[in-house]
Amino acid sequence: MKKLLLGVVLLIALVFAMPLVLSDFGINLATEIYIMAIFAMSLGLIMGYAGMVSLGHAGFFGIGAYTVAVIGQHVANTYLLLLLSVVISGLIALVTGAVFIRTSKFYFLMITLAFGQLLYVLFWQLKPWTGGADGMSVSAILNFGFGEIVSPNGFYYVMGIAFIIFYILLRLFVESPAGKITKGIMENEARMSALGYNVRVYKLLAYTLSGALAGLAGALYAYFNVFVSPDLSGWMFSGQVMVMVIIGGVGTLLGPALGASVFIYLQNFMSTYTERWPMVMGALLVALVLAGKGGLIHWLQHGKSLFVARKRTGEAVSQQPVKKGEAVH
Amino acid sequence: MSIFLAQLLTGLAYGMLYFMIAVGLTIILGVMNVVNLAHGTLFMLGAYIAFTFINDEVNFWAALLLAVLLTAVLGLVLEKLLIKRIYGKELEQVLLTFGLSFIIADAIEWIWGTEMHTLPVPGLLSGSLSIGSTAFPLYRLFVVFIGCLLALLLWYLETKTRVGAIIRAGVDDRAMVSALGINVGLVFTGVFAFGAALAGLSGVLGGPLIGMYTGMDSEILVTSLIVVVIGGLGSWKGSFIGAIAIGVIETLGKVWFPSLSMLTVFLIMMIVLIIRPQGLFGREVA
Amino acid sequence: MSLLRVENISKSFKTLQVLRDVSLEVNPGERHVIIGPNGAGKTTLFHCITNILPIDSGAVYLDGKEISKLPAHHLAHLGMSRTFQKNNLFGDLTVEENIHLALAAKKPYRYDIFSPLISRTDIRKETNDILEQWEISNRRHVKVKHLSYGEQRLLEVLLAMASNPKILLLDEPTSGMSPAETAQTSEMIQKLPRSVALVVVEHDMDVVFAIADRITVLHHGEVILSGSPDEVRNNEVVKEIYFGGGAKKHA
Repeated sequence: MKKLLLGVVLLIALVFAMPLVLSDFGINLATEIYIMAIFAMSLGLIMGYAGMVSLGHAGFFGIGAYTVAVIGQHVANTYLLLLLSVVISGLIALVTGAVFIRTSKFYFLMITLAFGQLLYVLFWQLKPWTGGADGMSVSAILNFGFGEIVSPNGFYYVMGIAFIIFYILLRLFVESPAGKITKGIMENEARMSALGYNVRVYKLLAYTLSGALAGLAGALYAYFNVFVSPDLSGWMFSGQVMVMVIIGGVGTLLGPALGASVFIYLQNFMSTYTERWPMVMGALLVALVLAGKGGLIHWLQHGKSLFVARKRTGEAVSQQPVKKGEAVH
Repeated sequence: MSIFLAQLLTGLAYGMLYFMIAVGLTIILGVMNVVNLAHGTLFMLGAYIAFTFINDEVNFWAALLLAVLLTAVLGLVLEKLLIKRIYGKELEQVLLTFGLSFIIADAIEWIWGTEMHTLPVPGLLSGSLSIGSTAFPLYRLFVVFIGCLLALLLWYLETKTRVGAIIRAGVDDRAMVSALGINVGLVFTGVFAFGAALAGLSGVLGGPLIGMYTGMDSEILVTSLIVVVIGGLGSWKGSFIGAIAIGVIETLGKVWFPSLSMLTVFLIMMIVLIIRPQGLFGREVA
Repeated sequence: MSLLRVENISKSFKTLQVLRDVSLEVNPGERHVIIGPNGAGKTTLFHCITNILPIDSGAVYLDGKEISKLPAHHLAHLGMSRTFQKNNLFGDLTVEENIHLALAAKKPYRYDIFSPLISRTDIRKETNDILEQWEISNRRHVKVKHLSYGEQRLLEVLLAMASNPKILLLDEPTSGMSPAETAQTSEMIQKLPRSVALVVVEHDMDVVFAIADRITVLHHGEVILSGSPDEVRNNEVVKEIYFGGGAKKHA
């Protein structure tokens, strides 16, 4: 709990210090990073804490985004729209997840991919409502009751605070009985079942929470970007968020968020230098796999544990290797 | 009626294309436990290679052969250099093959641009066969024929040859295969190259029907993944039946309710999974 | 009335029949050991009783209630617990965390998604009790994968006992152990309270005769004898097929 508090204080300091050093462009980029970090954490939750590798998570992001875009034409209340995004994407996650979680890992990967692609095609084909391939602009304006939020700085703080709130909620979840049990199921399903746990309930719970949160990230993105298109649900995007999670570090919460920052930054950086950024990105991925050794956060933790280990030399030899990265989560 | 029959043939032809690409995917999955997300990109690459040769006045059949050979070689190189390092590592596989599909797709865009292209139907097959009042395009009949030929070949390989026995055993019991002194690495390389060759083949054969355009790789990948899921992981028979079903239903669906064809395909997959989570021909997980 | 009743269960894998009309009764508190040569179907029998594998025919009753169709996680709540032949723990978690997971299965807050598990005082107390009772408090923060093999097998039993079962199925608790560890484990099993009935698959005959009230001999998927240790020791058929080979380690 103390560690969580410390982490949160650091995050708040970060969010409020950044505008002091960032340009307008930087503020905009950071805002996008916060949203993507929420999205990446939602996927990181099922990948790292429930062992479910989904390649269709952008499906939920798209649902959230289109909820704000489409229903936002008739409903102005921000709270209601965000709630609707969460509920709709959560419900769809619940219903589809009930089928998906019955399958084994490769199936899960493929089915979720098909699911995301289905939504992509649906947003494409339901042209009367969604504008089809051209996408649609978002008329709803972010307003939490303190006036309309339209300035880059306003968006920045909203998304920064949202990121912190959802980080805390996710942290609480992974420490909660349900979270710990889900992790146990990921490691050893047969044993958890024999201990008396209904494993499907926990998997479905994690999947639903994750889908709902991805939907919320999508909804925030719709407000931020004021434009939505089917690509938000495409497999490219699903793949990208998975890449964020993996390069950041599976099995942690802040890892995926870190991965999102690096990915979005690189994407922006590279696309200003070369049109061929997908190729560069692909090459980076291949290189990352070949270098092999977890995500960025694991490197940080590894560095830290080396440091701590060196400091400890001379002390009594402990039974247990240095606790890796408990503070960095 | 005659329109329906013609559409049925179109559906069958598409189904056979899906079969050709999905079967590579499913065998690679079944034998090597590798999920190859670059498979759709190999399909696209095959089509573009043939396109270049045909533009250089190379005969369609020679271009087909060259494209298949080149994709097979690419598959071989990829397996030897990269894929073999990540056996058994699911996340790495996703990351690596996803990265590869980025690279290849972007390279294709770089070399051939973003315009849509199609391959010409080879002269020999440009006509159609009239039965009663229905005209069946020869090329589509030909694609169906090739699909059936492939199924026959796979059946023969599986049941009558040593390679098939090894691969079947590899699917069931990898340790045993290596204990028998069989070079598993070689089998894996061969299987991967074979899968790549099939992807290239279906890309070229699909050229005159589907054409080539940006984003087709992911479309075709998703469709073939659905075929694999419906048919059952590692089962070519399952892919055969799944692919034909998807091809026909998708084609008829496009005619009857154009905006919902993808939804139909997806719903079929959901229903199959609710009834049989391991797919039609998949083995039960003990 | 018997606590566990297995009635004529059969199980085949494709063409291979692994269990044929196996019946078995276990009374409350009884120590019931199942022996038989390799491939006799002992582990399969465990999997069938706990419904990890579905049975082809027959039925399993616990306290007179049919359980053969119940999902595995229901059984734990009805008082049946089991261990696995291969170590089946949570390697990256500490001893303490492993016990937490085992204890939480029966807690009403097991679906809580909000408050930290370690903030629950009842689970902390129960964990301490278990750690002290088995004298492993000093190992509480060690990750399970760093425990010795014998310690891991012990923890395996502790986890299965954590839910306070009426009946506990132990699948080869001493397999792969050194003689010293085997003796320790045997002693530990004898120390388990009589409030729990034990069904044990075991190879080591010293352990078998040290703990058994009753022994069932399984051969080629069939029960050939069920009786007291003496009856089994003196049975000619058992001697022939089982001890006939001479080496007990071979069994």
